[in-house]
Amino acid sequence: MSTVSWITARGLFGRRRFLLLLPLPVLLVLLAVLSRAFGVDPGEWGPPVLVGLGLAVVLPVVALIVGTGVLGAEIDDGTVVHILTKPLPRWQIVLPKLAVATGVTAVTVAVPLYVAGVLADSVGLGLALAAAAAVGALAYSALFVALSLLTRRPVLLGLVYVLIWEGLLANVVSGTKVLSIQQYVIALADRLAPTELLEAGVSVPVAAVMTALISVGFTVLAIDRLRSFSVAGETS
Amino acid sequence: MPEPTGVIHDIGYQRYTGPRLGRRHVFGALYLHGLRTVFGLGRSAKAKIFPWLVVGIVTVVAAGLTAVRSQIGQVVMTYAQFADSMSWLVIFFVAVAAPELVSRDLRSGVLPLYFSRPLPRSDYPLAKLLALVTALWLLLGGPQLVMFLGAAFTTDAGMRGVWNELLDLLPGLLYAGLWAVVFASIGLLVASLTGKRAFAAGGIVAVFLMTTPVVGVLSIMPSQTINELALIASPSTLVQGVGLWALGDLLVEAGQNGFQIGGFGPVYAVAAVVLVTACVLLLLVRYRKVATR
Repeated sequence: MSTVSWITARGLFGRRRFLLLLPLPVLLVLLAVLSRAFGVDPGEWGPPVLVGLGLAVVLPVVALIVGTGVLGAEIDDGTVVHILTKPLPRWQIVLPKLAVATGVTAVTVAVPLYVAGVLADSVGLGLALAAAAAVGALAYSALFVALSLLTRRPVLLGLVYVLIWEGLLANVVSGTKVLSIQQYVIALADRLAPTELLEAGVSVPVAAVMTALISVGFTVLAIDRLRSFSVAGETS
Repeated sequence: MPEPTGVIHDIGYQRYTGPRLGRRHVFGALYLHGLRTVFGLGRSAKAKIFPWLVVGIVTVVAAGLTAVRSQIGQVVMTYAQFADSMSWLVIFFVAVAAPELVSRDLRSGVLPLYFSRPLPRSDYPLAKLLALVTALWLLLGGPQLVMFLGAAFTTDAGMRGVWNELLDLLPGLLYAGLWAVVFASIGLLVASLTGKRAFAAGGIVAVFLMTTPVVGVLSIMPSQTINELALIASPSTLVQGVGLWALGDLLVEAGQNGFQIGGFGPVYAVAAVVLVTACVLLLLVRYRKVATR
């Protein structure tokens, strides 16, 4: 574990606001257990819990908070200068931070999704959801880490993407689903464990290729942006 | 204990001899400043991007609805339904505005300066809350006014048609007010907990979004009572529940029903009042002892 990833992890976990991440996964498991205990048909509670809460809210929101936190928080504080002035190639800064963001997001989201998936259908679905969520965590983290280098307000721009693009537009204009990470995750999970619960909006090859493209593309973009990064004071 | 021996020397600074305006003016100034902050007025162009993006979208939607209505003559959305369908944008707007109002002051540590004025502790959060409520009401009410104007000028029934339209508009504006009060109080409370605007925005969105699927799950539980009370679980559906009870036909047209609240209408109204009161009280408690962060 490199020093950069170590201080990134400490920066994430060492603050009280890390506790902000806990209620979302707990709620996911709680709802699944509750529905199971009341004997509701999984076909009915599966979609709202697994997709509506798990893949559409918990995954992007956790990825947003963590992904913009690993680099964006340091840029906000101005402490990013300390890392930038070390004789490190830029990719050795971006990649460990991305790895930490992906790891934390994947663990926080995949575990409750696995539990909910097992309760809803089978161990197979649980594993499929967990794996797809981990892949989605990588794509989201790459996107949000790059965003925190492209703009001073990464969280708001990320919210525009999550709320308006994925949430609002994907329901109205179905063409935007091709550019929605949420749809890729659903498609991948459905491919790994075909059930009635998940309804894919894009084909599996498209999902796989686009996820890879987004992950690699935004990582390269982030490295490139950090190469010519100018430390500016906060503007209003 | 020895007697205090300190002396304040007059070292010749000029005294302020103008009028001292007092509490009401401080409150008014804070309110006006808050309202301008929400929309980024008097700030750089960057601060205007996100608020005016939302304002632009809702206005375009309202204009589109008006155009469709005047061309086809069919009402796509009532005024109250318009507020409902914009809920995601309202959430986003709160996530933009609330941190600007309170988190900035926390982060830059200017609260001791505010509270050294003749300003009671409770006035600061209340002025900010009032500003946010007004802004949200304008956000939802403005487009409704656009829709009303469009409908009023294309009506066939003369003054009578305009009058009927106005009677439809007023409950819609009231309903928008309800949205504004509930969302502003929750959003401002969450934002006041952290000085980081980024985390405040994330927290607000998380609170609003994570409660919505709870409603979906509760409404399919095998108990009719739970189903009819399910809307209480999330702020946006709570508002809809109160609307269903108070407005009835205006919100849901006959034959088209998403949720049922049964006979629990008053419960929803009480729940909304309790929620808002609790949020405001917690906000006041929060500002009883706060300096930075």
